[in-house]
Amino acid sequence: MMGRSIATKVAQAGLNVSLKELSQEALESTKRELEKSLDHEIARFGLTSSEKKAILSRIRLVTTFDAIGDADLAIETVQEDQALKRQILRELDRRLAPDHPIVINTSTLSITELAADASRPERILGMHFLYPVTTTRVVEVVRGQLTSDEVFERAIQFGRLLGKVPIKVFEMPGFVTTRVALPLVNEAMHVVMEGVAQAAEVDLALKLGYDFRVGPLEWADRTGLDRILTWMQHLHDETGEPRFRPCPLLRRLVRAGLLGAKTGRGFFTYDANRRRTDRLPDDQPGLG
Amino acid sequence: MKILVLNSGSSSVKYQVIETDLERMEEDRDLALAVGQVEKIGLSDSRLTLSVPGRPAYQDYREVLEHRAAIDWALRALVDPEHGVLAAVTDIEAVGHRVVHGGEEFASSVLMTPDVVAKIEACSVLAPLHNPANLRGYHAAFAALPKVPHVAVFDTAFHQTTPGHAYLYGIPFQLYTKHQIRRYGFHGTSHRYVSYRGCQALGWSRDDRRVITVHLGNGCSIAAIDHARSIDTSMGFTPLEGLLMGTRSGDMDPAIIPWLMAMEELTLHQVNTMLNKHSGLYGISGVSSDMREVLKARARGEQRADVAFRIFCYRVKKYIGAYAAAMGGVDAVFMTGGIGENSPDVREHSLNGLEFMGLELDAARNAATVGKEGEISTDGSRVKALVVPTNEEKTIARDVARVLGGVMPTFTPPESFS
Repeated sequence: MMGRSIATKVAQAGLNVSLKELSQEALESTKRELEKSLDHEIARFGLTSSEKKAILSRIRLVTTFDAIGDADLAIETVQEDQALKRQILRELDRRLAPDHPIVINTSTLSITELAADASRPERILGMHFLYPVTTTRVVEVVRGQLTSDEVFERAIQFGRLLGKVPIKVFEMPGFVTTRVALPLVNEAMHVVMEGVAQAAEVDLALKLGYDFRVGPLEWADRTGLDRILTWMQHLHDETGEPRFRPCPLLRRLVRAGLLGAKTGRGFFTYDANRRRTDRLPDDQPGLG
Repeated sequence: MKILVLNSGSSSVKYQVIETDLERMEEDRDLALAVGQVEKIGLSDSRLTLSVPGRPAYQDYREVLEHRAAIDWALRALVDPEHGVLAAVTDIEAVGHRVVHGGEEFASSVLMTPDVVAKIEACSVLAPLHNPANLRGYHAAFAALPKVPHVAVFDTAFHQTTPGHAYLYGIPFQLYTKHQIRRYGFHGTSHRYVSYRGCQALGWSRDDRRVITVHLGNGCSIAAIDHARSIDTSMGFTPLEGLLMGTRSGDMDPAIIPWLMAMEELTLHQVNTMLNKHSGLYGISGVSSDMREVLKARARGEQRADVAFRIFCYRVKKYIGAYAAAMGGVDAVFMTGGIGENSPDVREHSLNGLEFMGLELDAARNAATVGKEGEISTDGSRVKALVVPTNEEKTIARDVARVLGGVMPTFTPPESFS
């Protein structure tokens, strides 16, 4: 999902991009999802059909590393799994020209640690894209201990080329966005667990009170509660700070398989198109 | 003199070499020596085309990443012994640049000094998609041709003669002083040329006539030109206002925008693209933004294509009536642009029913005048209707010669509040 979203954004910026999937089957599904998400954006007037055609023509779907060839820059976007990410980095490290940057897309993992066994750790850095990559204006560009100035600067330029505002951060678990957002989300979950207010009202209070576009619990649902839990757990493990301890309610929902929008139920309920079905009357779109 | 005319967009550069000077333009002997463009700048398969009258068209592909490389490529093509038309780049004696927005700063074409370039840059806030691209073209051309004069010709300049009651919007006045929100109008070079050429064809002096020029292309606008001065035009702060266009909405109730943004939860980007790229002929017909396709669909009996066509023509007619009233009468209506020059259907539906104000369309003449200049009103028609093919590049080249010859007419806007 993240890879697809980044590839779309890169193609939208007029660059050619190869998108590597694990299998032919995954590739076919990605192809369908690409079409679907672009069609959705057309229906929302954000894109025209000729722009869609141009975007698709710049995305090449492949299943092997060899098919990528030498890219000017590579971005890995697999799940937050140390071992898996390392394996991908090794494959990319072997194939890309020595001075071409390799980007790790992660919200919480250590760039320095992941880069440790690369032949040239100075060309490895992090870029934390936020989903959906096509619309969020920000990207965190994360400097590992060994990342070179030149590679860091190139990644910032790349971010600008994608029309994003790059935020420069030094490596620390959670960087800026995740580190600040997760405790807020976690606290919202505590408020619900303690019975202070209902989930829908917690979200509404923050939406209306602080002009949040999406409430923290709906945001968590849309991100996937399992992913939120993984991030929280990782932040907690890395820092030992009690403020990052995942809320027990979050654990309970994940154990029950209520993972949010993708499973139809988390803090709220969603239809097959991931639209909320349980919005409060005060939470409807309107002129306010 | 040989003048290079450039129209630089964000990913393309259109170029022409035109031979003209004060004498030639007096005798209408301007000569287009070559016409071409470089497309897909920034991509690996950029394309250059070059057409020279009497020769087969030439094209070439290569990777061109920015405007400087694009203009170098065009210049090399122009001096190519086989395909080109110039012996050397130094044959080019001046460069004319189309610049979309001159704001309130520029009411006529000017020599591009560093000060002028800075002012054009300052106008970028009003045309964030166009002016920066126009300037990229200028900087690239200046790097290649630093010794010749460069002249800017603005889309907005001709409409700077409009009075305050036509250019101000009914919103708080401080928005005008703070953000320069007012009607600027576009296609000025086209309206100016067509009003001049149409009057010339009729043997009139433009200086004592009231004419309405109707530019119907992918973008559409209409202008009321009273004694050679634009007194009102349909495009406004941006090219979105006024007539229905290929993909632009034209006039609408502005309250629709916040309403839609709230109800559909659209972002600024989405609502902007909705109005500029999903609306107009395309949005209504669901067929195409191209009038030819809409006409075909209409002929097949498609209702939405028919209503798109009718909205299009109805608005043209409504504006003609309004501008005739604004000028206290009208002597001629000139139709131009891809649709205005080539679609008798559109002209017929837009101009029929105007007999009350003295315009009688001649059906046979209208049907026979496609892609060429000609009168389409009856001999007895008190208000003349003509098809006048536009030629913005020629006007730009002529302005270059006028500026360099010191005969570019200048004027002060009739009403300024700043």
